[in-house]
Amino acid sequence: MDSDTISLITQIIWLAIFILLITGLNQKIQMRIWAMDIRNKLNIIKRIIDEDRMRVEKIISNLGYKTPAVLVDRVLDFFVIEPVGIEPTDIIKRLDHTLRTGEGTLRRFIENSLPNVGKFERSLIETSMEILSGLNLIYKVIRHYLLTGERENNWILLMQLELVMPTIMKYVETYHMALDPFTTGKPIGDSLGPLVVYNLVEKSKMLSKRVVDDTSIIEAWLEDRRVLFVKAEGPGSNVGHPGAVINSLVEELKGSVDLIITVDAALKLEGEDTGSIAEGVGAAIGDPGPEKIAIERAATKYNIPLRAIVVKMDYREALTVMRKEIFESSLKAMEHVLRLIREETKPNSTVIVAGIGNTIGVPL
Amino acid sequence: MSYLDPYTVFTIILVIILIVYMFMETKKKPARVEYVTRELLVCYSCGFQVERDHEPGDFIGLVKGKCPRCGGDLKIKGIYSVDKSKILKAG
Repeated sequence: MDSDTISLITQIIWLAIFILLITGLNQKIQMRIWAMDIRNKLNIIKRIIDEDRMRVEKIISNLGYKTPAVLVDRVLDFFVIEPVGIEPTDIIKRLDHTLRTGEGTLRRFIENSLPNVGKFERSLIETSMEILSGLNLIYKVIRHYLLTGERENNWILLMQLELVMPTIMKYVETYHMALDPFTTGKPIGDSLGPLVVYNLVEKSKMLSKRVVDDTSIIEAWLEDRRVLFVKAEGPGSNVGHPGAVINSLVEELKGSVDLIITVDAALKLEGEDTGSIAEGVGAAIGDPGPEKIAIERAATKYNIPLRAIVVKMDYREALTVMRKEIFESSLKAMEHVLRLIREETKPNSTVIVAGIGNTIGVPL
Repeated sequence: MSYLDPYTVFTIILVIILIVYMFMETKKKPARVEYVTRELLVCYSCGFQVERDHEPGDFIGLVKGKCPRCGGDLKIKGIYSVDKSKILKAG
């Protein structure tokens, strides 16, 4: 090839680039590439949903329900509308009412369809369907933005979607992986709080146990103190209502509580080690609001010190089978709780220790 | 025989490097860690501990067999996932 030919090819390439730039065709080509990539990922999400749906339907049919698809379809598009936020009066009461109604409705759907199934199995099906519903929502939202972007030639929308897709895929994969513990009943990373409480109960002299509002209250004697342990009733998939229960416990004791400790899993920042423990002040609970505010109100009303212990983990570790590092940290967190009780209270004091999180795989 | 000028050679090399780089970038995937579920059994009498594969239906607190050291009850203390490559298999 002589230099004239090469020069001609170079000129043509530059001319083509120039034409692409001034006509905006390059953006259209880029848009097509993005749309293609998003569509491929959307197909992966669809495959995951189909696979998970088949798995859930199989479990339901094994429990004796003849038309699992009907039940799954009903739950898949179930929604909860948030209360009005611009009028703050009673927002917590309204939010609590809405969340509890949603929770109860979903439970009744399953109870009515599977009347002979035990509490443990029902809770697993309930959470599995919630996971499926979450995946379905992600799929529908992505599809909506993809089709809107393509129809309106909105390349900025497609670009944003393309950039956010790797993060969304990570969430989808996490949800997909979370189906395993929720169909087999293994503890997850978020079960850390209930596991710490379970181990503390094992260490103490248990006096009584009762269940209120899906939440266990265990009265025990530990380190010469009267300790009231609060955790979601296990071993099913359940988060209980620890806030409301702590509030009523404090009222029941007329405020004579010397310390409230909450133990929970917390999302770590990038760079932090999985299983690292941190101590602080406040209510360690990640609910939408009603439970947390109930603990804060009870502690504030009677001036009770509110201490928190958290164990760090990422989103995936919180929702999938508990990692060994997190299990080992639960034992260290237990020692932290014992140290806090010894340091902050005198013998014969009354202490509330709440293990916050989903108690799947953790009994009591 | 005509020789290519340095500018053309440079451009061709640059294009080849770019293609190879793009190919490698698309092929690059993070290493996937495979996890298996294990359970820790503890004897509360003598403190003996053993880690085994998780079996369906097992739960924390379940008494599963007798302690080989003292004959006490072996209880499941924890169920957790472990990186498969880090498990030492006997034999």
